[in-house]
Amino acid sequence: MALATVERLSFAYPGGAAAVRDISLELYAGEVVALLGPSGSGKSTLLRALAGLVPHFHGGRFSGRVEVGGRDTRSHGPAELVGTVASVFQDPENQVVMTRVENEVAFGLENLGVAPELIWPRVEASLGEVGVAELAGRRTVELSGGELQRVCLASALALRPELLLLDEPTSQLDAEGAEAFLAAVEHASCAVVLSEQRVDRALAIADRVIMMEEGRIVLDAPVGEARAWLAARRPRYAGGIEPHDPPSRAEAGTPLVRLDAVHYAYNGPDVLGGLSLSVRRGEIVALEGRNGSGKTTLAKIAAGLLEPASGVAARAGRATYLSQDPGRYLVRETAIDEVALGVSGDQVRAGLALEQFGLTFATCRHPRDLSSGERERLGIAAVSVSEPDLLVLDEPTRGIDPDRKAALAAWLLEQAEAGRGVLVATHDPLLPAHRRVRLGEPFGVPVAA
Amino acid sequence: MSAGPATALLAAVAVAAFLVDRIWALAAMTVVLLVLCLRAPTERRRLYIGGALLSALGVIVISPLTWSSGGGTLLWEGPTLPVFGPLDISTDEIRIAVVNGLRLAVVGLAFGAYTLLVDHDRLVSAAGFARRSALAVALATRLVPSLERDAAGFAESVRGRGVELHGVRGYATLLSPLVAGSLERASGLAEAMEARGFGRSKPTRAPRPAWTWVDHVALVGAALLVGVAAWL
Repeated sequence: MALATVERLSFAYPGGAAAVRDISLELYAGEVVALLGPSGSGKSTLLRALAGLVPHFHGGRFSGRVEVGGRDTRSHGPAELVGTVASVFQDPENQVVMTRVENEVAFGLENLGVAPELIWPRVEASLGEVGVAELAGRRTVELSGGELQRVCLASALALRPELLLLDEPTSQLDAEGAEAFLAAVEHASCAVVLSEQRVDRALAIADRVIMMEEGRIVLDAPVGEARAWLAARRPRYAGGIEPHDPPSRAEAGTPLVRLDAVHYAYNGPDVLGGLSLSVRRGEIVALEGRNGSGKTTLAKIAAGLLEPASGVAARAGRATYLSQDPGRYLVRETAIDEVALGVSGDQVRAGLALEQFGLTFATCRHPRDLSSGERERLGIAAVSVSEPDLLVLDEPTRGIDPDRKAALAAWLLEQAEAGRGVLVATHDPLLPAHRRVRLGEPFGVPVAA
Repeated sequence: MSAGPATALLAAVAVAAFLVDRIWALAAMTVVLLVLCLRAPTERRRLYIGGALLSALGVIVISPLTWSSGGGTLLWEGPTLPVFGPLDISTDEIRIAVVNGLRLAVVGLAFGAYTLLVDHDRLVSAAGFARRSALAVALATRLVPSLERDAAGFAESVRGRGVELHGVRGYATLLSPLVAGSLERASGLAEAMEARGFGRSKPTRAPRPAWTWVDHVALVGAALLVGVAAWL
């Protein structure tokens, strides 16, 4: 018997077009389902429908039927489904309620009405299951994004759900954090639906693959069959993609930025340890290294946002910097104003930049009304519109789908060919680069979640 | 000390600051709270201590100029300005400004100590009634560091495009995105809470350690403090 049944589900958010259209599927106990598809394809909406959040939390136009654990979600809200369903969302910071880890995990158990004497043992067991037992007494604000997301997973598993819904849970994490998270998911003893952009890893742990596009299911098959289908029809989602061919040689010339024996410290030990680096025109340099190894610090120094405590930072030309998670830090009321900010309000240039990134439709829309993928493109348009000499990008591939990653790689090559220097802090070995600079071990640098 | 008695004690200090008008008593409360706040990690305490002390200093410096008590010895008489009227400083105005400034410092530092040092989770779980309200207060308290981090992110995002923010007006442009970001965060959090059963009937509570004698002393101390301040 199916654990969850979705019959002819269609749903549109208030004032929006249909996010999912005529979807039908069944989920069975114990299976791990990889839910793939580009941003905006309806994956999150499907997961929210399975959790009862659609339509109860979001409102909107709902048709069809979703039944989980024998309960129809139209008559049972998300709080009533807790215990059968548990969810982990994209951004760990936006789902943490309590200030201490153990209390965070206990929060759901208390809501569920678990007997008081059973709460702490279940908290301890869940934290142990995901390998973060040592964090029990820590403050949630002190944890890295990867640690925090595993605490969120422990909070979900503590509810002993029959169905675990994971909505791009690693999109805000670095490679190591994502790896640890997915390893913990692999050991979950319930059915799992995993929406994930790290396709290789998702396919490695999945029994079954569902692919969505434009609100519809285009593939629902066992993983072996799905791999063949994806390889033939959606190769970017099939995993095992080869790195881009190295770009042609960069111009030899004066470096746009030259860092020589630079040191920097955040109220603690030196982060960079006297690192040296240069980026020339037409050159793409990738900064690699673990979280906390100083990539972001070095990128900010190269862009002129930080000055080194000692050493030389010589910059020629103009640099712009795209921070991690740029969609969160958009500051204007319309997309065109957002882009025009970098060119002293020049709306013509801003309009051309929006067109280049396929965002003309969003010209007068509020940036926060755009999807996450559209926001990221808007962020890139905003830093590139002024045609800087040096583009510094901090983890631009984090959480983006394979199609957008390929488009970003092609755009980086275009920028280099246009004579710009590009410095990109990344964990992604598939991004094209002339040189890759590996930074050392972490020194406890404050990092974004 | 448990979260409930600690919060009661801090609240009592803040109330006492409004009941008492002796400078030495207010100064003593300020110093005690300052020492307490200094126990928090440097990067976290900076905002609260700086905010409380700078606001207090602002009141002490500006209010004697803009408000006239009509009493005390006149120390300085300046020009008459539109809106503000005559500028003057008297001993009475300085004393009142110091009292008000110290009151503000006490309230600000008490809030800082509550935010930095009290275990809000235990406070929520200790709430015998209105647990949802206690949770809302705890979440609102947590908003302060989130806002600080967001503000830094917005400023960096703008500077990263080669645009410098100048003066109060420049930074004021970040207020709207800060509010929008907070609303978005709040919506995400509400969704996550609902998905974890918040609002279900008959919730239980994880067992917590019982109060110690220190907690009882703190509660009595809080009541005494308010009483003594009223008597002074």
